[in-house]
Amino acid sequence: MSSEFKYDPEVNYDEATMAQQRQIEKEVATKQQLIGPQEDLSQLEMEFAEDAVYFQKTKCLQKKYSHMRRTRGDGNCFYRAFCFAYFETLLHNRTEYDRFKDIAARSKEMLLSLGFPQFTLEDFHDVFMEVLEKVGSQCALDDLLDTFNDQGHSDYLVVYLRLLVSGHLQKEDEFYSNFVEGGRSVQEFCSQEVEPMGKESDHIHISALTAATGVSIQVEYLDRGSDDSVIGHVFPEGTTPQIYLLYKPGHYDILYK
Amino acid sequence: MALKRINKELQDMSKDPPAGCSAGPVGDDLFHWQATIMGPPDSPYQGGVFFLTIHFPTDYPFKPPKVSFTTRIYHPNINSNGSICLDILRSQWSPALTISKVLLSICSLLTDPNPEDPLVPEIARLYKTDRDKYARLARDWTQKYAM
Repeated sequence: MSSEFKYDPEVNYDEATMAQQRQIEKEVATKQQLIGPQEDLSQLEMEFAEDAVYFQKTKCLQKKYSHMRRTRGDGNCFYRAFCFAYFETLLHNRTEYDRFKDIAARSKEMLLSLGFPQFTLEDFHDVFMEVLEKVGSQCALDDLLDTFNDQGHSDYLVVYLRLLVSGHLQKEDEFYSNFVEGGRSVQEFCSQEVEPMGKESDHIHISALTAATGVSIQVEYLDRGSDDSVIGHVFPEGTTPQIYLLYKPGHYDILYK
Repeated sequence: MALKRINKELQDMSKDPPAGCSAGPVGDDLFHWQATIMGPPDSPYQGGVFFLTIHFPTDYPFKPPKVSFTTRIYHPNINSNGSICLDILRSQWSPALTISKVLLSICSLLTDPNPEDPLVPEIARLYKTDRDKYARLARDWTQKYAM
């Protein structure tokens, strides 16, 4: 039975909220690795055995994809899924690796010119480049998986991608201001919805990350839309996807053909 | 990774300290710092020296540092426990921010309180309805606790 809420100025409610959030994060962490092993897509079908709409749609998804990799639902899943899936393809694609390495190396200057604090930015950039070097040395897939499942390293990669998205949005501020909701400026949007860890990603984030990196992705939207099919959306539009993500409301996993 | 980052912040802090602020570890524990903020000129806190404690979480910088006043202060966004209501210490913390930026933001908060998001509603009400009285009380408290 909840008694009537009475505001107490001596209590810091934000802190209570943050403590509860931490507890939830801990629980989620015990159930799902940051990046899970590759599994057969039929696993997903079993998950939805009781749900006619989703069951039908996963059937449909299996016509296009064979495997998936689950990611932890911590609000960073889009960035982590993107980064892992893409780095995985770079292990076997030297030309694309060289193209991306150049972009990644140069991105630091772009972010510095936008006024991001130098030493924190360098810290994240250095770790990002370190992991990229490892990919360039064609490390074993398990090695990459270990890096992505090491919370510290993995979160450094997420932060750098968040900063890239923030930087791109601010650089193209005139264009993106049309898509920011709630009467906020692009900069406000970035400090509220992009840079903080755990903030979920939407079309605008995806569109900025793919534009900033020049990486094309296809997102398959698995939701309660009316027909039996799963709607796929390619970012940027009209390009050939290099990686595939599965979206279930609030969460992104990785798909494989 | 937290320790490496905190060490870097410490170096940055001594190389390029933010105006009116200082901060550093209390003892051997790098996760526990003390900071001071000089009451900003043109604020009722002018002339006061305010002490704060900083606790870095083990997963810093992914989670925000815990920063609170140990010196009592009369302010709409700071309560009697020293808790600070500041967006970048909560939902808007970004791993790219630093203690230096946090202290500067707290300085701005002293100059420009945010009565729309108060931690102490009475002070916020007074700030909005009787600015002179608020300033007088803030000055009194500064003299009493911070000088």
